[in-house]
Amino acid sequence: MNEPVSNLQQAFESGRFVFTGEIGPPKGINVEPCLQEAKKYLKATVAAVNVTDGQTAVMRIGSIAVSKMLLDRGIEPIFQMTCRDRNRIALQMDLLSAGSLGIKNVLALTGDHVAMGDHPEAKPVFDLDSVGLLQAMVKLESGTDFGKDMKGNPNQLDGIPKFFKGCCVTPCADEVEPQIIKLEKKVEAGAQFVQTQAVYDPGAFEEFMRRIEHLKVPVMVGIVMLKNAGMAKYMNRCVPGVRVPDEFIQRLSDVAKEDRQKVSIEICGELIRKMKHCCQGAHLMTLGWDHCVPEIIKAAT
Amino acid sequence: MIITERKPFDEILETLKPYTKVLVLGCGGCATVCLTGGEKQAEELASQLRLVSGPKKLDLQVEFDSITRQCDREFAENLKQSPDNYDCVLSMACGVGVQFMSQLYPDVPFLPAMNTTFYGAGVALGVWEEYCHGCGDCVLALTDGICPVARCSKSLVNGPCGGTNDGKCEVSSDMDCGWYLIYKRLAEKGKLDQFRKIQPPKDWRKDRGAGVRRMILKEMVEEEECQA
Amino acid sequence: MRDCDLTSREVASLSSATDLMEREWAPCRNGCPVHADVRTYIELAAQGRWQESIDVIRGRLPFAAVCGRICHHPCEANCRRNDVDDPIAIREVKRFVAEFCRSKGATVNKAALQDKARVAVIGAGPAGMSAALELAKLGYRPKVFEKFPVAGGISATAIPKYRLPRDVVQIDVDWILAHGVEMQTNIEVGKDKTIDDLLAEGFEAALIATGLAKSNVLPIPGSDHKRVLAVMEFLTKVAFDEKVHIGNDVLVIGGGNVACDAARVSVRLGAERVRMMCLENKEEMPAWEWEAREAREEGIDIIHRRGPVEIVVEDEQIKKITARKVTRVFDENERFNPQYDDTDVTSVGCDTVIFAIGQMADYGFIANSNVKLDNRGRLEFNPATHQTNEPKVFACGEIVTPPGSVVEACANGQRGAKAIDMYLSGRKIDIDDSLPPVIDKIAPGTAEKVIKTKRVSVPTEQPEKRKKNFDVFEHTLEADVAACEARRCMNCGAGAEVLVDKCAACLTCLRVCPFDIPKVTDVARIDSTLCQACGICIAECPANAIIPRGWDKDRLKSATTEALYAADGELKIVAYICGHRAPTVAWRGEDHRIAGVKQFYLPSMARLKVSDLLGAFEAGADDVVVVACAEDAERYPQTAARIRKRVNQACDLLSEIGIDGQRLKMFEVAGDADSIRTALDQALKEVEKTVS
Repeated sequence: MNEPVSNLQQAFESGRFVFTGEIGPPKGINVEPCLQEAKKYLKATVAAVNVTDGQTAVMRIGSIAVSKMLLDRGIEPIFQMTCRDRNRIALQMDLLSAGSLGIKNVLALTGDHVAMGDHPEAKPVFDLDSVGLLQAMVKLESGTDFGKDMKGNPNQLDGIPKFFKGCCVTPCADEVEPQIIKLEKKVEAGAQFVQTQAVYDPGAFEEFMRRIEHLKVPVMVGIVMLKNAGMAKYMNRCVPGVRVPDEFIQRLSDVAKEDRQKVSIEICGELIRKMKHCCQGAHLMTLGWDHCVPEIIKAAT
Repeated sequence: MIITERKPFDEILETLKPYTKVLVLGCGGCATVCLTGGEKQAEELASQLRLVSGPKKLDLQVEFDSITRQCDREFAENLKQSPDNYDCVLSMACGVGVQFMSQLYPDVPFLPAMNTTFYGAGVALGVWEEYCHGCGDCVLALTDGICPVARCSKSLVNGPCGGTNDGKCEVSSDMDCGWYLIYKRLAEKGKLDQFRKIQPPKDWRKDRGAGVRRMILKEMVEEEECQA
Repeated sequence: MRDCDLTSREVASLSSATDLMEREWAPCRNGCPVHADVRTYIELAAQGRWQESIDVIRGRLPFAAVCGRICHHPCEANCRRNDVDDPIAIREVKRFVAEFCRSKGATVNKAALQDKARVAVIGAGPAGMSAALELAKLGYRPKVFEKFPVAGGISATAIPKYRLPRDVVQIDVDWILAHGVEMQTNIEVGKDKTIDDLLAEGFEAALIATGLAKSNVLPIPGSDHKRVLAVMEFLTKVAFDEKVHIGNDVLVIGGGNVACDAARVSVRLGAERVRMMCLENKEEMPAWEWEAREAREEGIDIIHRRGPVEIVVEDEQIKKITARKVTRVFDENERFNPQYDDTDVTSVGCDTVIFAIGQMADYGFIANSNVKLDNRGRLEFNPATHQTNEPKVFACGEIVTPPGSVVEACANGQRGAKAIDMYLSGRKIDIDDSLPPVIDKIAPGTAEKVIKTKRVSVPTEQPEKRKKNFDVFEHTLEADVAACEARRCMNCGAGAEVLVDKCAACLTCLRVCPFDIPKVTDVARIDSTLCQACGICIAECPANAIIPRGWDKDRLKSATTEALYAADGELKIVAYICGHRAPTVAWRGEDHRIAGVKQFYLPSMARLKVSDLLGAFEAGADDVVVVACAEDAERYPQTAARIRKRVNQACDLLSEIGIDGQRLKMFEVAGDADSIRTALDQALKEVEKTVS
């Protein structure tokens, strides 16, 4: 077996249940608060931290820069990369940039449509899809790229990057088979780990895991903190492939405001406990409540 | 067919500012078939322009006409009056027609009254939907007749993104998820293997990647054109 | 392209869109012996355009007023509405139009120069007068010689006044004479003057149109009794108000319309009992079904299948008539060939017998002329050229044709005039009797989709009242009723026509047609036999490639412009109103006119285009009001919904250019007159409010 490319990969190989966290870079260059949060609550608790790439198509500071800053603070980043804003040339360039900066974990995503974000007039690119982006990484790792030289031969890179390549899936989509087929293609294209969309239905997740058993890649179940009943209902209404059971909504609305965070943490812990037997980790999306991460992890064990 | 939509009236009026004698020219091709740029609509637009002329002190003189297609030279002969008799022609054809006609009549400004929106088909009376993107590299055989380039809002080639939701696209709940449709049809026909195969990144050269596109039919083309 | 395909170029070369209707005829017109353009005059009547309507009628039918009363109306028998519900009451509409306009209300198209040959016409009946009219219009100088003191023939001299008042006949006669037809009455050719005299006087041709003036009488025992009357002489006496002694117990022999007349006249003269006896059974009787029915209603018994044998006279009084049973009337070849059972003889009591068993010609006119009878005792005659043995002497009408009705006589007279024109202008007499193709019966699937309407019932006096006098018992329709009835017309063959050069095969017509008529192959095809002329496709076609056959599409626009121009200084409100059920008077805007509102009544609202609505504003309208029928009162299905969409679209287009969409209003109330008034009043008030 080859040397693990990143700590994250090593964590999976060690066989222990892996946690990752996530930060959203700011709109502007005031990165300190989010770096502080990461340092305070995530550094010691999770194996790596996702850095979102213009999430929901909202323009923010680039994920590559923030990833590098995390790296500089001793936190391993997972560089999220979407296909929305860059063509294959720019994507490959940024992958080389990341590689040169020591960023190893890359999560390949299609990206939300520009129509969802704050620049709906922008031209959506989607030159490559997430499968193509994974293929691009593999190409670069093999010392070449998607292009050809003047003679029509594959280009040769001067210095080759190495990545630990991840992808995403929605296990509880209303139609799960196309999700599985696409995941199979991603793995075939080079994906080495999977982070899922938020899951609230352990039964469905277990069934999903059974159906992708053959893929033999580590899967981290996505855990999105439910901050209150309203948010839970919103997710049911608006987030594709996410179904929050009524029971959770009830618990959140029954509880007094000051105890709500506690219930939130409980729910996350409960979910992880119910699913940890069938997956390799949990990706925690706290939506700003990074301070809860240690407690969630505690509640999960 | 090429779907066209009439531009907002104020935008049209703005472009007409320098002119007095205007011909509104309908196109008997796609624009007629999609009920936006035929003679009827030309007549209505001409009427609107005349109505607005007085109150806005524009002194417009507006007539209308229509020809079979604005993207072919010969039909121009059927114009009731030469475009040279007007200060400008407001074309209700798609972008192709506007340009082709202005090439035919270089001395007359041809202004677009329409926005050319997509290649589509009428799915119900008064409803047209996009079916083709004109990417130059048709993959319909693989996707069983449903185009992922045109009917997935991200033109994805390997399957749906995470935004697919109850068969609809994340962009709008009125919009079908193209990949959901493809999946359903392939599943129904037992052809999911076609979906399972990884599609390499699309060669966009045949789309717009290689610049302006041109087609030459050797068996029809005149000698000089061939060499050119 | 198909032969019948139409292009915009061809249409541009037509003098009017109505020319297209000549390409095919509706069955009503085809069935009319003079081929009056029924569909057009009915449509004009539907629009209250009475004078235009009478002009169209008179264009082919000089005896419009007479036919309005007594025509056997084959147009109605051929009406395609028979397969939907009931035919249009065409005759009743015509009657109203003709009598409303009278003779002065109809246009006289006199020849610019009437200097061609003089032609003598013998007999002022429908055939002779029609021929004279045609000749006058062609520039000849016809002179009609009539033995009676009045013109009109049988219409004036025999048909009872309760069916046809004299002043009605005079409407037609006056109008014909106004064309430069000379008339001399009280002169009997053959007696007062011979045909040869006429030719010698400078008439270059003569036309015999004396009809069948004499009645047949069966030469059975007793038939020479003075109380045995010949029907024509009897009816003529009554017609000229001569005192006629009618018995108490009258038996009319015969089963035709004239027999019915005689019987009904007898009733009105005060006979206690009147009966008819004929060879035929009820179904075989030659009288029109309604004539026999009305006779029965007036208490007249009809004895069927009996043939008179003897009139039994005792003490110089007729006592009875013996009659044998008729075993058959027609033979296998459907020829009149009665057979009797002489063992079955009954007697029918009576004191007066009127023979109404057919008329015959009086050939007195040939006296002292070269005109000859053939070996069967009939006029020598060539039907192809209308000539007798004497080339300058022509004949037409019932004297040379089988007996028929007034309209048939008119048709034959017109044909005779053609022959004379050809002869006198030195051409070979070669009359082209060919007609355009006729549109077929309505397809059952289409008939089903046509909205059903009730045929007007003509107000009629009760038999008990009407049999006491000679007053007309069937009343003329009121104007609004006549127009409403006319609006039942399906406008057969006046529907949509595709201009193939403009058609983009977009399928819109096929998709919007409520009757599923259009087919689209290379271009749209709209079968004129099926099209219901609603006009929905015409207004929706994006290529303006569909035109209505009989409707000038620009007329509405120009009429609107004219009306608004004339309204200078007033409020300018235009109302487009569904004329289908609106009261007729409104058509000409007389009675229901609301001051300040220019009202236009449309035969079908579905033809109203968005550009018409915009056009009204262009013409200067302050406000435009659309008054459509609600869904339950539509002439054509889906009209209200269509109009609503168009009005909304027009509002959008107006708003877009800064004109308040509120200036275009729609009301769905055209089902009744009061609602239309209220709607227009309301619209007017709103506008006044905004203006002040």
